[in-house]
Amino acid sequence: MKNRLFMTVLIALLIGPVQAQDLLIPMDDSQSDHLKAYGVTFWSLNRSIDVDWLLNYRGGSFLISRTPEVENELRVRGVRYEVLNGSQTAAVISEVESDASNTSVVRLEKPPKIAVYAPDQTLPWDDAVLLALTYAEVPYDMIYDDQVLAGDLEDYDWLHLHHEDFTGQYGKFFNYRSAPWYIEQQRQAEISARKHGYRKVSDFKREVVQVIREYVGGGGFLFAMCSGTDTFDIALAAQGTDIVPMEYDGDPIDPDALASLDFSETFAFTDFRPSFNSREYEHSNIDSGPPPPQLRNPAVDYFTLFEFSAKYDQVPTMLTQNHVPTVKGFIGQTTNFVKTLIKPGVVILAEAPGRGEVRYLHGTFGEGTFTFYGGHDPEDYQHFVGDPATDLNLHKHSPGYRLILNNILFPAAKKKKQKT
Amino acid sequence: MLYIRLFAFLIALSLSVSLSTVSSAQSVDSTQVGRFQLAESFMRSGQFQRAISLLEDLYQDSPNTHVFYERLREAYESVKRYDDAILLIDRKIQQDASPVVYITDKARLLFLKGDEAGSKATWQLAIDSNVTSSSVYLMVYRSLMQVRLFDFAIEVLEQGRDNLGNASLFQTDLAQLYNLTSQHGKAVSQYLELLKINQNQLNYVRSQMSPFLTSDEALDKSISVAEEGVATVPLNRAFRELLAWLYVEDGQFRSALDVYRAIDRLEREEGRLLFTFAQIAADGAAYDVALEAFDEVLRRYPDGSSAPDALRGLGLMQEMWAETLGEQVFDIAGNRLERNHYDEALDTYQRFLIDHPQHPHFPDVLRRIGVLHQDIFFDYTAASTVLTEVITRYPQTMTANQAAYDLGRLAITENRLGDARIQFSRLLTRLRTGELADLARYELALLHFYKGEFEATDGFTRAMQENTSTDVANDAIAMKVMLIENRGPDSLDVPLRKFARTSLLIRQRKWETALHQLEDLEAEIGLHALSDDVLFSKAGLQARTGAIDAAIQSYLELPLVHEGSFLSARSLFEAGSLQETHLGDTDTAIRTFERILTEYPGSLMIKETRAEIRRLRGDEV
Repeated sequence: MKNRLFMTVLIALLIGPVQAQDLLIPMDDSQSDHLKAYGVTFWSLNRSIDVDWLLNYRGGSFLISRTPEVENELRVRGVRYEVLNGSQTAAVISEVESDASNTSVVRLEKPPKIAVYAPDQTLPWDDAVLLALTYAEVPYDMIYDDQVLAGDLEDYDWLHLHHEDFTGQYGKFFNYRSAPWYIEQQRQAEISARKHGYRKVSDFKREVVQVIREYVGGGGFLFAMCSGTDTFDIALAAQGTDIVPMEYDGDPIDPDALASLDFSETFAFTDFRPSFNSREYEHSNIDSGPPPPQLRNPAVDYFTLFEFSAKYDQVPTMLTQNHVPTVKGFIGQTTNFVKTLIKPGVVILAEAPGRGEVRYLHGTFGEGTFTFYGGHDPEDYQHFVGDPATDLNLHKHSPGYRLILNNILFPAAKKKKQKT
Repeated sequence: MLYIRLFAFLIALSLSVSLSTVSSAQSVDSTQVGRFQLAESFMRSGQFQRAISLLEDLYQDSPNTHVFYERLREAYESVKRYDDAILLIDRKIQQDASPVVYITDKARLLFLKGDEAGSKATWQLAIDSNVTSSSVYLMVYRSLMQVRLFDFAIEVLEQGRDNLGNASLFQTDLAQLYNLTSQHGKAVSQYLELLKINQNQLNYVRSQMSPFLTSDEALDKSISVAEEGVATVPLNRAFRELLAWLYVEDGQFRSALDVYRAIDRLEREEGRLLFTFAQIAADGAAYDVALEAFDEVLRRYPDGSSAPDALRGLGLMQEMWAETLGEQVFDIAGNRLERNHYDEALDTYQRFLIDHPQHPHFPDVLRRIGVLHQDIFFDYTAASTVLTEVITRYPQTMTANQAAYDLGRLAITENRLGDARIQFSRLLTRLRTGELADLARYELALLHFYKGEFEATDGFTRAMQENTSTDVANDAIAMKVMLIENRGPDSLDVPLRKFARTSLLIRQRKWETALHQLEDLEAEIGLHALSDDVLFSKAGLQARTGAIDAAIQSYLELPLVHEGSFLSARSLFEAGSLQETHLGDTDTAIRTFERILTEYPGSLMIKETRAEIRRLRGDEV
C-alpha cells in the first residue's frame, strides 16, 4: 500500500511539470494592446505571480505561468497571449538563453511602489506618465513637495517627474502669467516655499531636488520627462547661485551665476548654460529645441533606439524593449538633449540620428539610477497648453509610451549576477 | 529701433536737464551723452561692470541728472550690489524735498538684500512721512507687490484706510490681494463695497473673481459673504446677481433660482432673467429647477416678452428629461402608462399653439407635436393631421421639409408605401443634397427593400455609400451587405423577400405577426445564409414582447447553430445584457460576456464586452 502511494506521488511529480503550461505575452507586432500588457504584468506581480521578461525576444515578451485568473485578466483587458506547453516553454527559454542570440531572461518579482511627482492643482497640459499608468492600470500615488520634504520618498521604489520646473521659474510660461492656472500655480508654490521657511520658490525647489538626489543616491529609481529632466540638473548645478530672472523671483540673477554653477552636483549634464532670458521658453542650452524646420514634421521626425547586449547590459536592454527600432519624434519644452553636454558615463539609449541630439538616456548615481526621456507626449507631436489629453485607447501600440512603461518594470527585476 | 531709443533717450535727457536746470543749473554736455549711450549699450548686453564704471563717473559729474542716477541704481541692482544702490538712494533721500518714492525703493532693495526687518521699517518710514496721503500708501503697496509681499501689502492698505478714515479706499487692490492670499470672503466683501457704489461694475467683479474660484473652499467662502451682503442690502440688484452667479458656479441651481426669482420680482424684469436662468439650469441637467423657473416665468408673466420662448423651452426640456430617464408611454403589452414628461411636453407645446399663434416658432412647435404623436404616442391620425397642417400652412420652409419627411415615415408605418414613396421622392427632388435628402434617399432604398425590389435597393445604397460623411451611409453599407450575403438561392430571392416583409412589420409595430412570420421563415429556410438574421430578429421580438427567457434562449442558441455568424458575438452580448438587466443575474451575465472573449476574440463587440465585464466586476477603470 505504501509502495503504491509512493509510486502515485512519484508519477504525479513527474507528470506535473510536463503538464504545466505558460502564457506567452508576445510584444511584437502581433500584440493587440502593448500598453495594457504591461498592466497585466504589473497586476500579476501584485498577486505574487512571478513574470519572466524575455528581453529582445519578440519585442520583449513576457512569460507567465498559466492560471485561469491570469488568462481571464488577459482576455478581459484585451491583451493577446499564446498558450505554451512545457516543451514549448523549454524551447523558448532555451532559444532566449542561447549564446547565439542577443536575448536573455529577466525574472520580475516584486512590483515597484510608484510615486508620481505632481501638484494637486490641475494644469492645462497632460502628463504622459500619468496617462500611461492610468491606461495600463498600474497603481501609483501622487506626491509633491510637502511629501518629498517630509521624507515620504522612502516609501517608494520609483519616482516620476514630468513637466516640472525645478528652477523655480514656473515653467517659464511668461506669456500665461495672467491665466488663472498660472496665478494659482505661482501662489501655491509661494505658499509652500514660505511654509517651509524659504523666501523664494527657487530656493525651495533646490531643497526639493536635493532630497530627490539623496533618494536616488540611496537606491531610488528616478524617471523624468520633458522639462523634469534638464530643470532638475540645472537646479542641482545652481545650488550656490541665483539663475532666476527678476520677472520670476523679484530679483536679478547673480552676476557671477555662470561661474558659480557646480556641475559636479548634476546627474546627467555638464557645462551647460542656463537661459537668463525670462521671455525665452527654454531653461538652458541642454535642450536642442524642436527639430530644424525641414524635419519638424511628424512624418519625418523620429529617433532610433540603441541595441545593447541583452546578456551583459540588461538594464539598458530592459529600458529599450520595443517592437520597433525607430520611434516617432515628439516635441516638448525639452525635446532632445545636446550630446556634447552629457556627462561621460551616462548611457545613451536613443538619439535623433545625425543631429547630435539624444532623446533618451540612463545613468547611475550612488545606489540608484536615473532615466531621462525628452519630449512631452509621445502621441501628440506638439502638445500645446490647453490641448486635450491624449486618448491612449487610440494608441495601444505606442512605441513611445512603451519606453515609459519599460521604466516601471525595470525596478521589479531580480538582480542577477552578470555573465563575465 | 535705434532711432526710437535715441529719441526716447533725448526726451528723458532733456527732461532731466530741464529739471536740473531749475534746481541746480547743471547741464549735460555732448561727451556725457556719448558716454551715457555707451553705458546703456553695455547694460543691454549684460556688461554691467563696464556700465557701472561709466555711470559712476557720469553721476559724479552730474549728480542731479535723474537719468544717470536711475541707470546707476539699476546697474547696481542688476549685479546685486544692493549696498551701493542703497547708498545711492540714501543720498537722494537727503537731497530730495519729498523723498517718499526713494524711501520705498530703498525698502525694496533692503528686502532683496535679505534685511527683512530693515525693509519693513523703511516702508513704514515712507508711510509715516505722510500718513494722510493715499498716494503714499499706493506707492508702498506697489513696491510691496514687486516683491510679492501680499500680506504686508494688505496691512499697509488697511492702515491707509484707518489713517485716512475712509473705508472705501483701495477696494479693488485689496480685493485682489485678499484673493491672492486665499481670503476669498474678504475679497468678496471688497467687491460688494465696490458694487454698492457702482452696480455697473458687476461684470468687472465677476471677471476679477472668476480666476480664483477654483476650489470648493473659495466658492463656499465667497457665497457665505455674498449671502450676508444680500441680507444686509436686500435691494442691491448687483449683490443678488453676484450671489446667483456664485450659486450657479457652485452647482447650487435651486439657491440660484431663489435669488433670480427675487431679482425678477424686485426689478420688474418680467421673467427675462428667470428665462435665461432656466435655460442654464436645463443645460446643467437640473431639470426640476429649470421646470420651476420656466413655470415661474409663465405663471407670473403670461403676456410678457419671454413667455413664448419660455413655453417652447419648457417643452424642449421636458422632452430632454423624458429621454434622459428613458421614459415610455406604453408598456410591453401596449397598455398606457402613467403620465410622464412626454405628456407634459405635448401639453406644453399645445398650450404654445393656443397662446402664441403668430409666433415665429409656431411651425416648429407644431411639427414637434406631430413627431411626438407619431414616435412616442403612436397616434398616427393626430400626427398626420398636424404634420399636414405644417406643410400646408408653411410651405417652402425647412420645417415643412422636415414635416414632409416625417409624413413619409408615417406612411410606411401605416402601410401606405405608395404615399411614402411620393413623399420621399418629392422631398429628394426639392432638396437634392444635405442630411435630410440623404435620409429621404435611404427611406426610398428601404421602401424598395420592403417590396423585394433588391436591384433598386442596391442602386440607392450604392449612391449613398459614396458619401461617407453622412450618418446614413453606415446604414446604407449595412443594407448592401445584407443584400450581398442573403440573396438567392432561388432566382426570386424568396427567403430575403419574406425577411424584408417581416422587417416592415417590425417597423409597423406588428410584433406578434412579425414573430409568427419569422418563426415560419426559420422553419422554412433551414440553414440558409439568412437564418442567423432570422433567429436574431426573433430573439429581439421576443425580448420586446416580454418573453425574456425565450429571448435569452434564442440569443444563446444562435452561436450554437451559426458558430461562424457575425451575429453570434452580438447575440451573446444581448443575452448577457438581458441576464443582467431583466434577471439581475450578474454572475451569469459575466460568464456570457466572457464567452465572447474566448469564442469570438476577433468580434467587433470585444471592446464593449470588456467594458461590460469590467463594469459588472466593479473595476475602477
